[in-house]
Amino acid sequence: MAPTYNIAMVSDFFFPQPGGVESHIYQLSTKLMDRGHKVIIITHAYEGRTGVRYLTNGLKVYHVPFLVIYRSASFPTVFSFFPIFRNIVLRERIDIVHGHASLSSMCHEAILHARTMGLRTVFTDHSLFGFADAASILTNKLLKFTLSDVDHVICVSHTCKENTVLRASLDPLMVSVIPNAVVAENFRPLYNPAETSSSATHSFGQNPPPARQLGPHDMITIVVISRLFYNKGTDLLTAAIPRILENHPNTRFIIAGSGPKSIDLEQMIEQNVLQDRVEMLGPVRHEEVRDVMVRGHIYLHPSLTEAFGTVIVEAASCGLYVVCTQVGGIPEVLPSHMTVFAKPEEDDLVAATGKAIAALRANKVRTELFHEQVKTMYSWTNVAIRTERVYNGISGAISEGEFYGYDAANAASWSATRGRSGVQSFALIDRLKRYYGCGIWAGKLFCLCVIVDYLIFLFLELWFPREKIDICPDWPRKTIDNRKEMGKDGLR
Amino acid sequence: MLTTAPHLYIRRPSPTTAEFTVTTCPPLTLPLRLALACVHAARLSLLLAIILLLYGRWTASPSFLGAEHIRALGSPVSLLLAGDFPSLVLSVLQLLHASAAGQVCARAATHLLPSWWGLAVLAGALLYATRALGRIHTTESLLVLRGLGIQTASSYSSYNANATGSSSGSSGGSCVVGGGGGRWWGRIFGGGGAGGNAKETRFIPTEKIQDVLINEAFRGFEVRYYLVVVVEGEEELVVVFPRLLPRRRIVEAVWRGVRGCLYEPDSSGVAAAGGGMGIGIGGGDVKSVDEKR
Repeated sequence: MAPTYNIAMVSDFFFPQPGGVESHIYQLSTKLMDRGHKVIIITHAYEGRTGVRYLTNGLKVYHVPFLVIYRSASFPTVFSFFPIFRNIVLRERIDIVHGHASLSSMCHEAILHARTMGLRTVFTDHSLFGFADAASILTNKLLKFTLSDVDHVICVSHTCKENTVLRASLDPLMVSVIPNAVVAENFRPLYNPAETSSSATHSFGQNPPPARQLGPHDMITIVVISRLFYNKGTDLLTAAIPRILENHPNTRFIIAGSGPKSIDLEQMIEQNVLQDRVEMLGPVRHEEVRDVMVRGHIYLHPSLTEAFGTVIVEAASCGLYVVCTQVGGIPEVLPSHMTVFAKPEEDDLVAATGKAIAALRANKVRTELFHEQVKTMYSWTNVAIRTERVYNGISGAISEGEFYGYDAANAASWSATRGRSGVQSFALIDRLKRYYGCGIWAGKLFCLCVIVDYLIFLFLELWFPREKIDICPDWPRKTIDNRKEMGKDGLR
Repeated sequence: MLTTAPHLYIRRPSPTTAEFTVTTCPPLTLPLRLALACVHAARLSLLLAIILLLYGRWTASPSFLGAEHIRALGSPVSLLLAGDFPSLVLSVLQLLHASAAGQVCARAATHLLPSWWGLAVLAGALLYATRALGRIHTTESLLVLRGLGIQTASSYSSYNANATGSSSGSSGGSCVVGGGGGRWWGRIFGGGGAGGNAKETRFIPTEKIQDVLINEAFRGFEVRYYLVVVVEGEEELVVVFPRLLPRRRIVEAVWRGVRGCLYEPDSSGVAAAGGGMGIGIGGGDVKSVDEKR
């Protein structure tokens, strides 16, 4: 019987706000619950979504009332979250606190407080950051603060891992890579609209869907779905669209999404009189994304920075040929036969799109097979199993050797790692040692914060004694045959 | 010492009626009765002191009628028989004023606080202290009548609970020592201004009740369980036991009891979930679920 845990997912970002981090947390929590764990989510209050809520699958969400400053990130107050966080953790009997997203101050605070309370902590990083500008330096320092004393870090791609390790000066051994996944059933291609149970039985490739033949003069539709921000490469898109349409007759664009850069796109359409060839849909809901995607043949993703890029996996799952910039974690995401890569510059993007159009017209790409391939590559169950392994590792259910994969010969370097990762010790003095190494001034400041946090903890223990806090009753837990699941998803 | 953590009494006079009372009043033992009596004596003497202070100040003022004039009205007994109440009050006050305690009060009023302003502040403070002394126990109850509805009641003074809440029965009534005195006391103080004298009651008829459920909410630095009644056509939920907000054990017991009592048990399962059904058949016995701390 595998051990089960009570896990609290903490992030500023959760539904009803749409987004990649939000759906990641939801899907991961759902699958972890399916595997017999208890999962709760702690986020801040949204407009019209306050208090304690249950989602339909029994997932409990605490919308803690907090001040929101920028793009739904809450105001960093370091200590003010502690009393209520402690109350929630105690009443739900949490073992592991799992924070998400490096821009969420709530997540950082929760990790700090959780360590003070003697809980295991995991942090998942979903984004890439620079090192140069003032905001990045500040965020990186903050990240270093919280990650000085975290049990394990999960990154969504190898590029992201590299980035996080450098930003927070972590030992690479305590950083795992667990990619995002997609719910492939929600992103079916057009010619395979309803995958009934009968068809699922012989969906092993013996019965591949017929190839779609494209004539030389058929219309090719290029789809772009993205929030129209600078970092998503909307400027690149604005520059490239007129040239692509000029070079290739019988092509058109569908652009979905909203943002500050949409005005530039509209100006471009006006200037080049492309109203009949570029369709702007405005914002679309996540469940409508598939319906937009299946209208096209090519998905164009001009992003300038991307830790993972779930949307290109969704596009490939819908049977679209993907043209994307070779930045961040994107090259890791899809196999090469599904994608055409471009450098993040105008000329190369135009050239790559041209290559993709030519390949489609020559019927060289079997886009109709993409869906099944994506489905075998990405599943949330797999993500949950791998996350569960991280939980097992940090709580000592599997040995350190097995978890970190070190051998006895390497033990000298390992002991340094252990001190850094803080797997064993919750003692205040050991924690202070870890924080002290953060910088000449920052180290002392962080130590001060940790000491204050500890004092607050002692005060809370006196003022709100544990036995006065009601324990929540648990839902009946699901049980699962572990070995069967592992075999099905092709994991060790 | 005088109060406990909120605990629950369930009273079931008939199978279709149940009353759930949550109170901070501990079971009345002799030491507790004595302690409560002391508190009430302290209240009484405080109030007397206020009156004597004011009277003492009046005797020193030029508008005073004169002690001789009041004594000439006659003895208190004869005035009582004559039914002349203003004169009766005056003569009783004069008698008290002439006593040793009355002289101390009068001296305090004239020497320590020569101004009316200071005296008014002092009197107000003492009056407030008397009120605060009275607010010892909080008692909140929920009465469920099958086919009729639910009545919630909330009171935060043991006197007031007695003054208007005779329906509180054994638990509410037994809280009060010297109950008869409590009535007019409560009235005087309620008239004094700060409100809260009347027990806050609310009746919700069955056809308006959509559901009774346990919810969780943030309150201060914690998350609390509470029992709510969802009322048809109302935006706000009606919180049961809003002042005490008892802990989960009690809330769950009440919830099961309400579900069992309010709705006809359509199968044996529901009756079992009701929990308290068996108790009611005995008729009027009191079950107490004390909260473990």
